[in-house]
Amino acid sequence: MKFLALLQNTNWKLTRIFPLTLLDMAYITVLLPIFIMLKAPMMLFSLIVLVILFFKKSPASKKLIFFIFMLGSLAIYLSLYGAFSFSGLSRLKIFLELLIYVLIVVVSMQRLTREINLYLIVSPFLFLALSLFFYHGMLMLVYVVFEVFFLLWMILAHRMEGSLVESFRSSMLMFMYSLPWVVVLFIFFPRISFEHANYGFKGEVIKRMGHDGTMFIDGNALLVPSERIVMEVGFEGEIPAEDTLYFRGSILYVDKKDHWKPLPAYPKRETRVNRPLQGKVSNYKVTLYPTQKRWLYLLDMPKKEVKGSTLDRDLITRVDKNIKEPVHYLASSLLSHTFYDVLDEATYRASTLYYKDRNPQAYIVAQEIKNKYPLKEKRASAVVDFFKAQALTYTLQPDALDINRSTDSFLFDKRRGYCVHYASSFVTMARMTGIPSRIVTGYKSDKSESLDNYLVVKEKDAHAWAELYINSQWVRFETTTTARYIDMQNQLNSIQQENPTLQSINLYLMYVKYQVETWILYYSHARQLQLLDYAKKNPMFIVVFVLSLIVLLIITFVIIAYLRRPMYSSEALYILQPLLKSLKKRGYTRKKEESIHQFLLHYISDNPQHLEVKEIDILYEKILYASNTSKLELVLLKKLIKKSLATH
Amino acid sequence: MMKSLRTFFQTYRKIKQKATAFSAVVVVFLFGLFAQAYMHDFNLVYITLFFVFSFAFSAAPIGILNLGRLSATFVHSGRFFAKQDGNISLKITNNSPVASWAITVHGMSVSKPLAKLNAGNFAIVHLNFTPKNRGSFSYKSCYMQSKYPLSTVRLTLPIDEHYEGIAYPEPKGKRLSSFLNEQEAQHGEEKEFDGLQTYDGTQKISYIHWASVAKGELSVKLFSKDLYVPNLIFDFHKAATNDEARLSQLCLWALECEKKHLPFSIKMPRGYLSSAKESIDEILSTLAKH
Repeated sequence: MKFLALLQNTNWKLTRIFPLTLLDMAYITVLLPIFIMLKAPMMLFSLIVLVILFFKKSPASKKLIFFIFMLGSLAIYLSLYGAFSFSGLSRLKIFLELLIYVLIVVVSMQRLTREINLYLIVSPFLFLALSLFFYHGMLMLVYVVFEVFFLLWMILAHRMEGSLVESFRSSMLMFMYSLPWVVVLFIFFPRISFEHANYGFKGEVIKRMGHDGTMFIDGNALLVPSERIVMEVGFEGEIPAEDTLYFRGSILYVDKKDHWKPLPAYPKRETRVNRPLQGKVSNYKVTLYPTQKRWLYLLDMPKKEVKGSTLDRDLITRVDKNIKEPVHYLASSLLSHTFYDVLDEATYRASTLYYKDRNPQAYIVAQEIKNKYPLKEKRASAVVDFFKAQALTYTLQPDALDINRSTDSFLFDKRRGYCVHYASSFVTMARMTGIPSRIVTGYKSDKSESLDNYLVVKEKDAHAWAELYINSQWVRFETTTTARYIDMQNQLNSIQQENPTLQSINLYLMYVKYQVETWILYYSHARQLQLLDYAKKNPMFIVVFVLSLIVLLIITFVIIAYLRRPMYSSEALYILQPLLKSLKKRGYTRKKEESIHQFLLHYISDNPQHLEVKEIDILYEKILYASNTSKLELVLLKKLIKKSLATH
Repeated sequence: MMKSLRTFFQTYRKIKQKATAFSAVVVVFLFGLFAQAYMHDFNLVYITLFFVFSFAFSAAPIGILNLGRLSATFVHSGRFFAKQDGNISLKITNNSPVASWAITVHGMSVSKPLAKLNAGNFAIVHLNFTPKNRGSFSYKSCYMQSKYPLSTVRLTLPIDEHYEGIAYPEPKGKRLSSFLNEQEAQHGEEKEFDGLQTYDGTQKISYIHWASVAKGELSVKLFSKDLYVPNLIFDFHKAATNDEARLSQLCLWALECEKKHLPFSIKMPRGYLSSAKESIDEILSTLAKH
């Protein structure tokens, strides 16, 4: 409203805009997002046109228009040079780019004539619609709403003969009228469309790191202490306990000295024995950013496969193609650190293979444990105890291990490392004690990166842990907990990098972004059904929903009433209104040509006993003609009017 | 709230709505957006689609509020003469608490734009009108129209009142001075003049006082015979050769007499019309209805 007041105080002559200028303003607004994606020749062409338009205030000659046409054609050719192949033309993006370029050239030609025709009026809307093909983010959402409002403002300014102030007020009014309808339509309009398409518009070049299906333990070890978000997870209820937030990525069986690999495709593995998993159910929605890999990350242990993916016998979820753009999936897991399995021959062999010559020291210790404890769970505990006894240090900057004897090097010499070193050594040693073991890589989330039911998983949360096969169950072991020391200097560096307040603000912003993306940008048929289902189960939700709509309607009407309120030339006149209304009720109506002073004098002459009205008249005149009006005088006027109304 | 709604529906019934060509453009745009949203499931497109849809549909009620609180009454519009341009005056009042925009007032084959009418204010709109014939006429079928706010709907508010007027005969024929010259002989010959008066274009050229013209003043001589107030009696039958010409001639003379404040009488086939007894408008009305 301050903006409105500012506009009202602006010089009136300046706020009257010619139709052509209004059109120009509309074009600038809608072309802004398109300019960002223009190729260099087309951008150069647009700049030339803008310069001509800026300096040339008369209609362009036919020669100049023809020159612009030729220049535009050349710019189009150069912009799309190389894209004209059959494979290229099969992509809708090229067609749309071509369409936009042609539209820019034609609009430029028409604009140079300085004649407004239907085509020139309609084109901003076409540009708006076309720009929606190319952008689909938060920023564009805000910009689209602004664009829609701005175009409405320009239309109304044209209809109201270029009055920017009044048209802004009317646009606000119309916008508010429309808002409840937009909300209702957005929620309930049936989304019967095809799958969310991209046609190559939004593919991200950057990929998220942290997990890539192999695990190096030498200098190539993947350590990404980055804050880049890999996943955003929205839980149906509360976020589960921190020690259950293991997002399963891939399973590694094969020890290749310097790295671990998954099982190759050729050993035929039997399907998993279908035995229901145990644990607390957690339902959640994941937004996974481009990883250029095929894994979908689900909490331990995935209950069922995600739509469009496969869940293998190791409870690993994969999709057919590399993930090149954000993926949204609904998932369900049973929060457990174990799951039942019957080992087939291939899995058994892979999970028990080790080379005793590579790590002789670890082998000797493992054999002692094996001989001492016949039960596998006791052996596992003994391995954990052994790790703890080695006084290991958790550090993100470990010394290089001797890769030919990596486990011995880590456990007996260097004793410094992070998750990959711990998991690798632990699995090797567990295998030496006769326990089938494997490494699981994925993400271990930190609950400090959460807000309500929203959790952020970052690249730095990449993690590796061990799974040991004990009593027909795969049991998760968090191997880094065996560290006795934590390299504090190392940890402090990473903590001090960010201000906690900034971190908190950042988290809130991410949360807002996530909610907007969930409920607006990626609101879908599935979410509609989810809402409907939720409403069926919770009748109170319907009441809350209807009440929310009513509140929205009330807010809208209040704003509309505010915008439609009569405008007074001064604050004093506004304060005077209750008195004028009261006098009107008593049969005294101010005539058009009558000033307030004349009107009040007329009333006083009929009612000399009403002395307050005389006082009001004097004060009102004083306020009206004084060079400086103090707030106190306005307050006094208000009081006098109140007193007068109370008396009579 | 209920009162406002009732008022709105009363206004709604008064106003006629018709889609414009621009609404077809909006429909095409909506269809295009729907196709885009349907094909790609882009919520941004859906949002744009819903906004455009809502704007298009809220345009009519906003337009009704803009136009519906206007009232129009005919006000005194002056004299009308057959085949001469006149103006029908309409007083348009805005009874709304907010200004009304982009109104066009339509009369019989003419229209006048009214860019803005402030809250509680009125404007007088003059609509050109040329009566074809003398006699009574009725100016009706007036309406106010607006395409505010989006040009998608043309809203029409009919003006129920109509203007009943009378077109006097077309004033044409010989000037009154000619008639007086013909009567001159009855008032003696020119002698010394009695004074000077400013030339107003109706006096004889021969009356111009050249001595004052040389001094820079355009004066004419005033003769005692001219100060004589003649008893002007215009005879219907002698005024011209046919009835229409006679009525036009008499109308012209009556108007000239009114201008010069000269009393006159008209001898009509059935009685006399006297400026002493009737007003000029009554005399002209009698001539118009003859």
